Amino acid sequence: MTFDTWDGDDESAAGRFVPLYVLVNGRTAPRDSTLDLATQVVALAVDTRRLEPEYVEIVNRCANWMSVAEIGAYLHLPLAITKVMVDVLVEQGYLGVGSPAQQKIIDLHLLDSVLAGLERL
Amino acid sequence: MDRTSVKIVVAGGFGTGKTTLVASVSEIPPLTTEEILTEASIGVDDITGVEGKTTTTVALDFGRITISPDVVLYLFGTPGQDRFWFMWDELAQGAVGAIVLVDTRRLDSSFPAVDYFERRGIPFVTAVNRFFGECAYTEEEIRGALELDPRVPLVWCDARDRPSSKLALVTLVRHAMSRITAKAPA
Ligand SMILES: Nc1nc2c(ncn2[C@@H]2O[C@H](COP(=O)(O)OP(=O)(O)OP(=O)(O)O)[C@@H](O)[C@H]2O)c(=O)[nH]1
Ligand SMILES: [Mg+2]
Repeated sequence: MTFDTWDGDDESAAGRFVPLYVLVNGRTAPRDSTLDLATQVVALAVDTRRLEPEYVEIVNRCANWMSVAEIGAYLHLPLAITKVMVDVLVEQGYLGVGSPAQQKIIDLHLLDSVLAGLERL
Repeated sequence: MDRTSVKIVVAGGFGTGKTTLVASVSEIPPLTTEEILTEASIGVDDITGVEGKTTTTVALDFGRITISPDVVLYLFGTPGQDRFWFMWDELAQGAVGAIVLVDTRRLDSSFPAVDYFERRGIPFVTAVNRFFGECAYTEEEIRGALELDPRVPLVWCDARDRPSSKLALVTLVRHAMSRITAKAPA
């Protein structure tokens, strides 16, 4: 989904901010990553001894399902970097990945369960 | 693997109670994650030449509500300043919709948020935060000032109060569902 850009007053005054592209192990973030910040991942039963410590830390955090945003918050990593690192771990089979937030809101059944969950609050 | 994430955006002007609303319903104290952005006067698709520009860090607050063993709802507060539209795009993508918080002392501060979701056809509800008791405006006056489509729900809320925040969330999900039902072929 692409959004048209905001053309409100603030832009001319303050400029426009875009993500800082970072290079992590030869990958640029966020362009390579399809992960949403709400997408959840979980550690798979794989030996992590060959991983670098920063990656092991992520895997260890994901004993239970955990979103990209939560990993970034707990490990004090900027989102763009968190995404690439999680992406690498998914690709290499250390993390399993759940369903992202809906791309199009067409799932009434899911919304029904969200509603029921909220009403229980 | 079956683990689904659902997103709701909590938007509104600076200091309208976004973080307070997230905190009032989240099962964990709100977390903060950061994104590093860089100033660019060029289009988002052309990233050449951004080296050496100033960078800035945007903090995002969020909370979570476990809906069922395989569904988790994440509530993301938008950055208070309007210039970080990139983050709004990322937050809004795939979201059920948004709650736009409105502070009646500064109605206009939530106008960019209303405009943002309206233009993109993203379902949203307005939640009028009554900071100090009585509100000086009627619902009609607020709707007029924000140029709200008559179909957009408006609720009164106290972002510190869980039942009140819950009502705003429930209203949004119902609104999002009714829009889908309305669009579906008979
Ligand atoms: N009286 C009253 N105070 C509120 C309410 N909601 C928020 N506040 C207070 O208003 C102040 C701002 O609330 P925040 O939740 O931090 O607002 P915000 O929208 O997250 O602010 P930014 O992220 O800085 O844009 C805090 O001191 C809150 O305690 C409310 O419903 N009633
Ligand atoms: Mg805040």
